[in-house]
Amino acid sequence: MSERTQWNDYQWELLHGAPQSPELHMALDAVITDEVGAGLRPPTLRIWEWSQPAVIIGRFQSLKNEVDPQGAARHGVKVVRRVSGGGAMFVEPGNTITYSLSVPQALVQGMSFQQSYEYLDAWVIQALHDLGIKAWYQPLNDIASESGKIGGAAQARRAGAVLHHVTMSYDIDAEKMVQVLRIGREKLSDKGTTSAKKRVDPLRSQTGLERDVIIERMLQTFRGLASLTPIPLSQATLEKAQTQARDKFSTPEWTAQVP
Amino acid sequence: MHGEYKVPGGKLVVVDLEIKDGALSDVRVSGDFFLEPPEVLDAINDALTGLPADADDARIAAAVQACLPADAELFGFSPEAVAVTVRRALT
Repeated sequence: MSERTQWNDYQWELLHGAPQSPELHMALDAVITDEVGAGLRPPTLRIWEWSQPAVIIGRFQSLKNEVDPQGAARHGVKVVRRVSGGGAMFVEPGNTITYSLSVPQALVQGMSFQQSYEYLDAWVIQALHDLGIKAWYQPLNDIASESGKIGGAAQARRAGAVLHHVTMSYDIDAEKMVQVLRIGREKLSDKGTTSAKKRVDPLRSQTGLERDVIIERMLQTFRGLASLTPIPLSQATLEKAQTQARDKFSTPEWTAQVP
Repeated sequence: MHGEYKVPGGKLVVVDLEIKDGALSDVRVSGDFFLEPPEVLDAINDALTGLPADADDARIAAAVQACLPADAELFGFSPEAVAVTVRRALT
């Protein structure tokens, strides 16, 4: 078993570009993580911007159990399936903070899945504390606070690399969310609440800060761990992702793979 | 037939299935769990297909366990959780 590496063993790169379509985001996660796994790029932090409302369902979720197709159509919501497990999320441009870490497997070498989730988000918990939010990691994969859930993480293991991505609610439209997602009572049965609307407490109400201010503070905290250089998305990576978005992530075969 | 089971402290497991000639058919396991490698989901569905509809939890869980490759990782659920969900779908 090889040695575990540290955050500051790497010169990290930051991708935070123009808004992209949901299917391109799915593909960028896969392509960038595979490039990290192949040693073609250093570990990468990618901040997402959305070009349209979307529901992103987990790798193993049933499309029809999770999404209300009429509700999604009525609100112009695109439905896509991601490469990682976990639960469905509803996003609209500017109302979440979503980021992906694409890291070499060596960074979490020897850790359990549970440990690796907490480890890869420890800097975000720190950033939230610095913003005055009493946040903590709630196993298995939630970021929680005293007034409710803030966000959730999901991972996928891909040849030599780990994709760890997180969506935190900045300013969610809970009424619209429950029209688009089907959230059953069984799922909430051990959460101490019977309403999905009450489960999510957005960052805006807790901090009163603009979304980009929160992101900037998160990046400051990250830079306390390791160097982080902003880079533009290369044309080669973009083209690979566009191909996957077209041939895989926008197809019914993939999105309805679990029907 | 449809069953759901939220693993306490874990994730949601969902099973949709039919019964044909006293055996499970068209079995589809889904949920917000984590599973590596992802293709193992097909193996789990296949392992459940053909089990007698009156199989008990232990037998169902054993069938799931037996189909898992050595490197499989289940996070947020277990073969026993799948068994509970199958039983719920059947009752």
